[in-house]
Amino acid sequence: MLSRSGGRLVASALPRPRGSPQPAPAAAGRGFHAGTAARQAADGAQEQPKPFDPVLLEFLVCPLSKKPLRYEESTNELINDELGIAYPIVDGIPNMIPQAARMTDKKKQEEESE
Amino acid sequence: MGVTACGALCGRHRQLLLLLARGFCSGFRRFSAEGETHFGFQTVSEAEKGEKVYQVFESVAKKYDVMNDSMSLGIHRLWKDILLHQMNPYPGTQLLDVAGGTGDIAFRFINYIRSQRERQVQQKLRSHQNLSWQEILKSYQEGEQKSLGGSHVVVCDINKEMLTVGKQKACHLGYSEGLSWVVGNAEELPFNDDKFDIYTIAFGIRNVTLIDQALKEAYRVLKPGGRFLCLEFSQVNNPLISRIYDLYSFQIIPVLGEIIAGDWKSYQYLVESIRRFPAQEEFKEMIEDTGFLKVEYRNVSSGIVAIHSGFKL
Repeated sequence: MLSRSGGRLVASALPRPRGSPQPAPAAAGRGFHAGTAARQAADGAQEQPKPFDPVLLEFLVCPLSKKPLRYEESTNELINDELGIAYPIVDGIPNMIPQAARMTDKKKQEEESE
Repeated sequence: MGVTACGALCGRHRQLLLLLARGFCSGFRRFSAEGETHFGFQTVSEAEKGEKVYQVFESVAKKYDVMNDSMSLGIHRLWKDILLHQMNPYPGTQLLDVAGGTGDIAFRFINYIRSQRERQVQQKLRSHQNLSWQEILKSYQEGEQKSLGGSHVVVCDINKEMLTVGKQKACHLGYSEGLSWVVGNAEELPFNDDKFDIYTIAFGIRNVTLIDQALKEAYRVLKPGGRFLCLEFSQVNNPLISRIYDLYSFQIIPVLGEIIAGDWKSYQYLVESIRRFPAQEEFKEMIEDTGFLKVEYRNVSSGIVAIHSGFKL
């Protein structure tokens, strides 16, 4: 698997996108565009709304149990596995109000089995 | 004293006064036994108050700074500057600014730290005149990397809209590092114990439903040796100024609110909530009851605003 920067260079040099399921574009220009698109997705910080700042993870705990949280990148949430709640992060600002949090599926499954 | 003052202000609200008197007599500071509290001059349940306060700030968020400037004729900037001077933070301080909304205190903190840091670096260079070029270069590099010297401010507010406005302001003004934004409830802070050097709450604590709870949380998240600072509207001690202030509050501010922000009710709530907040001495006792030591307050602008300070020792 190419590293991110290596992939960028290769993608911009070759007229083919790196590992994407799209058909190979004909012109080098298209390939460059795909390369920058891959770079955008990889960085995330510039084009999309700001991602969560990991510095905050040192400070934040669950307001209910005061236990540390886990950052889940896929759903962009902070998860308290113990209580099974997930706090959403909107625009890079974590929402630590218990009413705004949602129950994660694991907790729901436990409740159903009981 | 509080009862007669209220009587002068709101002759129409006799029933409310009776409730207030009953509340005082029963030993609860402002709440009656059934979990009711005040929302301005209205009486609401504690559960309702949180929701109503949220709506107030949600609706004023975008015009909050403009309104602050027009209502206080820009003097609120002075008050906040005075708070920072009293705080006198040094580089490396971890600050928690609760109800920090649009970030006024946080930005001032960063500016203060930056100028302190520059002074530190200059002093260091001046006192080490015989450094080699390599050492001087290294200290300049260090200075750039940690331009805040490890200081950090976390802005916490219950209202997402206020924080969004604050974050945009930070972008425009160029504040990027050392600043974090969290949506959280002052009564249930999402931070671990003994985390922060300084806890500030500027013009926010009168909007909290359970002030005792917020004070307890403040005590919890502060490090031993940490400082609690509260900047809040308070009781005016000069009778002449008090009358002018009341006139201005009740006649002009809600009108300004309607003209500038299109929201009379929110600003009516704001001026009423100021009247319902405990006076300097009473608030000082509340802070002492929580466990803070060396609790002091100083009046600013004849008591229109007061800064309460306490230490966790």
